Amino acid sequence: MTWDIVVIGGGAGGLSAALAAHEEDVRILVLEREAVLGGILNQCIHNGFGLHEFEEDLTGPEYADRFIAAFYEKGIDVYLGTTVMNMTKTKEGFSLEAFDKKAGKLAIEARAVILSSGCYERTRGQIRIPGERPAGVMTAGSAQRYLNIEGYLVGKEVFILGSGDIGLIMARRMTLEGANVKGVAEIMPHSNGLTRNIAQCLEDFDIPLYLSHTVTDIRGVDRLEGITIEEVDKDFRVIEGTKKDFAVDCLLLSVGLIPDTMVLESLDVKMHPKTKGPLVDHNFHTNVEGLFACGNALHVHDLVDDVTEESRRAARCAKEYVHGKIDKDGRKVEIHAGEGISYTVPSALTMSSFDRPVRCAFRVDRKADRAVFRLTQNNETIATKKARFVAPAEMEHVELGPKDLKDTTSPITLTMEVV
Amino acid sequence: MYDYLIIGAGICGTLIARDLSRYEAKTVVVDKESDVGNHATLANSAIVHSGHDPLEGTLKAKFAVEGNRLYHTLAKELDIPLRKTGGFLLANRQDDAKGLETLYRRAVANGVDSPSLLDASTAKEREPMLHDDIVAALDLPSTMVTYPWEVAIAAMQNAMKNGAALRLNYEVASIKRTEEGFVVTSADGDSLRTKVVINAAGTFADTIASMVEREVPYRITPSRGEYYVLDKLVDGFVERVLYPLPNNNGKGVLVVPQVHGNILLGPTNTHQTDKENVANHAEDLDKIKRDAARMAKDIPFDMTIRTFAGIRASSTYEDFYIEPSKEVPGFYHVAGIDSPGLTAAPAIAEHVVGKLLKVRESYPKKSSFDPYRRKKKAFHTLSDDEQRRLIEADPAHAYIVCKCERVTAAEVKAAVQGPLGSATVKGVKKRARAGSGLCQGGYCESEVLKVIAEVTGKKPHEIDYYRKNTPILKEETKVKR
Ligand SMILES: Cc1cc2nc3c(=O)[nH]c(=O)nc-3n(C[C@H](O)[C@H](O)[C@H](O)COP(=O)(O)OP(=O)(O)OC[C@H]3O[C@@H](n4cnc5c(N)ncnc54)[C@H](O)[C@@H]3O)c2cc1C
Ligand SMILES: Cc1cc2nc3c(=O)[nH]c(=O)nc-3n(C[C@H](O)[C@H](O)[C@H](O)COP(=O)(O)OP(=O)(O)OC[C@H]3O[C@@H](n4cnc5c(N)ncnc54)[C@H](O)[C@@H]3O)c2cc1C
Repeated sequence: MTWDIVVIGGGAGGLSAALAAHEEDVRILVLEREAVLGGILNQCIHNGFGLHEFEEDLTGPEYADRFIAAFYEKGIDVYLGTTVMNMTKTKEGFSLEAFDKKAGKLAIEARAVILSSGCYERTRGQIRIPGERPAGVMTAGSAQRYLNIEGYLVGKEVFILGSGDIGLIMARRMTLEGANVKGVAEIMPHSNGLTRNIAQCLEDFDIPLYLSHTVTDIRGVDRLEGITIEEVDKDFRVIEGTKKDFAVDCLLLSVGLIPDTMVLESLDVKMHPKTKGPLVDHNFHTNVEGLFACGNALHVHDLVDDVTEESRRAARCAKEYVHGKIDKDGRKVEIHAGEGISYTVPSALTMSSFDRPVRCAFRVDRKADRAVFRLTQNNETIATKKARFVAPAEMEHVELGPKDLKDTTSPITLTMEVV
Repeated sequence: MYDYLIIGAGICGTLIARDLSRYEAKTVVVDKESDVGNHATLANSAIVHSGHDPLEGTLKAKFAVEGNRLYHTLAKELDIPLRKTGGFLLANRQDDAKGLETLYRRAVANGVDSPSLLDASTAKEREPMLHDDIVAALDLPSTMVTYPWEVAIAAMQNAMKNGAALRLNYEVASIKRTEEGFVVTSADGDSLRTKVVINAAGTFADTIASMVEREVPYRITPSRGEYYVLDKLVDGFVERVLYPLPNNNGKGVLVVPQVHGNILLGPTNTHQTDKENVANHAEDLDKIKRDAARMAKDIPFDMTIRTFAGIRASSTYEDFYIEPSKEVPGFYHVAGIDSPGLTAAPAIAEHVVGKLLKVRESYPKKSSFDPYRRKKKAFHTLSDDEQRRLIEADPAHAYIVCKCERVTAAEVKAAVQGPLGSATVKGVKKRARAGSGLCQGGYCESEVLKVIAEVTGKKPHEIDYYRKNTPILKEETKVKR
C-alpha cells in the first residue's frame, strides 16, 4: 500500500508534523531509527524547553513526552528502530528503502515525504584544528549522549571549543558530574549560544569564556594530554604571544550543527548554500515534487518551540499537497538575504498558493542592540519590524502576507539596519 | 623456535610473511601495535604508482614497476580493492616544459606501461576540472589506488591461514645473538627464538638494526606528509591521480581519488626528528591548499571531513635498503621503505623471499598453500535478494550502525570476530569503515562501542580506541538507567 505521508525522524519536528497532519483520511507513517521517539530531546535533560509552546519551563524529555503521549493517543503509525537509507522518486511519489532491526528490509511507498531527520555535529576534521589525534577529542553532543543516555563520563579535565548551546550546556553538565571544566574558547568576538545559557552554564560556575580564541594545538599520543589556545584578530589570524596551555584529558567541540540530509543522496534536491539544508518555498516544499522538510533537517534551530511551530506548518502543507491543493511549480517570488542577514527560510514564495501570511525565519550575520528589519521589493519597503538584542545565535522571524506584496514577480529582499 | 621472525606488520612485513607461508618454514610477524598496518601503511596516498618517478636503475624504480603489475594478481588472490584511475602528471604555465619530457623518458626507461605526452586540450577533455594554467600532461594509465591497510590485513590473514603466526602488542626491545640464531625480546619481557630476523620496522628500522649491528649502514630521517580527506560525495571531481611536476622536495602535493570515492589532497614533505608523531600543522595544511589549487580548479575543500599525517621512513641511503646485514649473518634489512613502498611491497616481498633469503633452497614448497582470501562484500553493495537472505540468516544485518558509510551491526561484529579481528574502535573503522564518513563517528561511535562490548563480553568503557589503555569513555556514572 502507499502511505499518504511518510515522516522521516521522530524527534520534535517529526512528532509535531505527524500530529498536525493527522486526519481521518490521511495515512501517515513515522520512521524513527532509535528505539524511542523524541530525538535529540531525549539527551537534553536540562530545562529551558517549551517556554513559548507551553509557557512552561520543561526539560527536553518532558517536552518530548507531551508530544509522544498525544501521538500514541491518536494511534499514528510508527516504526521504531527503522533507519531510512535511501529514497527514490516513483510515479506515485517516493519509494523509501529502510532497515528495521526487527522486521528486516522494508520498501515503503509514499505520496509525500516530510524530512525531519535532524542534524549532525561538525567535527574536528571539518574545522581543521592542527595537532595530534588522540582519544578524548569529541563533539559535545556525543559527550552528552554518552553521559545522559548511556551513562558514561568522557573526561575529567575538560576544555570546550565553541560556545554553541550544546557546548555551554555540557560545560555545566560535566561540572555537575564532577569533571573540572577549565574553559570555553570561542573564535568569534561574541558567543554563539543563547544569552541565558552563558549566564546559567558558565557564569554561575565560574567557567571562563575566552572570546576571539581558538584551539591551535592538541597533544597526546594515546589519550589527550593537553591543548593550546591562542587569541585571534578580526580576520581570525592568530596573534603572536597569546598562547595559553591547558592540561586536559577531554576536548569537546561545539562548533556547529549541519542538517542531516543523507537520505536525499539519490534525489536531485537543491540545497541552500548557507543552511546546508534543502531549499524550500513557503510551503516547505523542496524542488522535488512531494518532498517537504522541517526542523533541524531544514535549518538548525536554537529553540524546540520553533521546530514545533515550523513542523506543524510544513505538515499542513504536505497534507494540502496530498489533497491536491498546492503545486510546487509556477511563478515564484524569491526572498533574498540582503545586508545584515545570513539566510532566510523560505527562500521563495510560490504565488499559486500564497494565499495567507507566512512566517519567514532568518538569521542575522552580526550582533546589534537595536535593529530594524526591512522587506523591500524594487527598493520599495513593503514591511518593517523592530527588534532588540539580535544576534546570529538567535533565530528571528517576520510575517509576510499576500497583501504586503507590491507586485507578484519581483524578488523580495530582507535587510537589517542597525539603529 | 621460528625459522623467520619479521619485525613490523606493515605492508612489507605482512606481504613477506605471506610469501614465506608458501614454504614449509615457521614464520612469525611481531608488531608493537595492537593491529597490523598502523603506521606508514595506514597514512599514505594509497597510490599504486606506475613507477614513473624514481631514478632509472634504482630499486625503487624496479620494484615500483614490478609491484604495480603484481597488484593485479594480489587483487585477484586477496580480494583487495583496486581502482584503475590512471594518472596525469601536469606541467603548469610556470613550470619548465622540459621537465615533463625528462619524466616521460624516465618512465619509458623504467618500463612503465604505456606512458604518453598529452597537450593541454586533450588532458582537459579527459579531466575537465584541470586548472586553466595546465599546459601539458604526462599520461600514466597504469596508475591505480588501493586501500592500503586492507592489503596488509588481507596479506596477514592469508599468511595466517597458511600457517604463519602474528604477535601484536610485541614491541621488540632487544635482540640477542645465540648459536642457532636470535632471541628477540619484547618490552614486556616475552622472548621468541628464531633462526633469521627480517627487519621491516619502518621508521624504527635503524633502531632495530642497532640492537645487533655496531655500524648501521643507514639512518632513518623521518619525513611527514599531511593530508585533507574530502567526503565521498565529491566522487567524480577528478577521475585520475593528479601529480604536479616533481621538484627537489619529492613528488609534491597530489589530488588522489580513493577507492571509496573520497579524495585525498596531500602530502606535504616536512622533515621532523620524531619517528611517530603524526600531528597536523597549520603550515602544512595551508601549503596543501595552495599547491593543490595549481592543478585543479574549484577544489571542494568545504567537503573536508578530516585531516591526517603519515611519516615516511626515508633514509640517508636514499634508495630502498634491502640487504643482508654485513655484520650479522641471519639478519636482513628491509629498510628505508618510503615512497613508493606501498606500490613496491609485493615485489619487495618476492625479492626478499626469493633472492635474499633463498627460502627455496632450504624449505620445500607447501603443497597446501592457498593463495586466496575472500572478503565479504559490503552489505550495502549487495542486491536486494542477497540483502534479504543475509538478514534472514542474521537480523544484525538490518541494524544500521553507521549511516554515513552504510555499515551494519553484522559487519561490525565480523570486524571484531573475523580472522585477524580487532576489538578496538579504530580497528573496526579500518575493517568496516564505521566512523569514516561525514559525521566521523559522531553518531555511530557509541553504537560501535555497544556492538564491540556485546561481542567481547566487556563493558563499553573497557573498549580501547586503538592502543592498549586508550578507552574513549572515562568512567561509568551513577545516572545509569
Ligand atoms: C544539545 C541540544 C540542546 C538544546 N537545548 C535547547 C533548549 O535548551 N531549549 C530549546 O528550546 N531547544 C533546545 N535545543 C533545540 C531543539 O531541541 C532541537 O532543535 C529540536 O529538538 C530538534 O528537533 P528535530 O526533530 O528537528 O531533530 P531531532 O530531535 O534530532 O530528530 C531527528 C530524528 O530523526 C531520526 N533520524 C535521523 N535520520 C534518520 C533516518 N535516516 N531514518 C530514520 N530516522 C532518522 C533521529 O534518530 C532523530 O530521532 C537543543 C538542541 C540540542 C541539539
Ligand atoms: C605520507 C606518505 C605517503 C605515501 N604515499 C605512498 C603512495 O601513494 N604510494 C606508495 O607506493 N607508497 C607511498 N608511501 C610509502 C608507503 O606508505 C610506505 O613505504 C609503506 O607503507 C611502508 O611499509 P612498511 O611495512 O615498510 O612500514 P610500516 O607500515 O611503517 O610498518 C612498520 C611497522 O614496524 C613496527 N615496529 C616499529 N618498531 C617496532 C618494534 N620495536 N617492535 C615491533 N614492531 C615495531 C611498527 O609498529 C609498524 O607497524 C607513502 C608514505 C607516506 C608516509
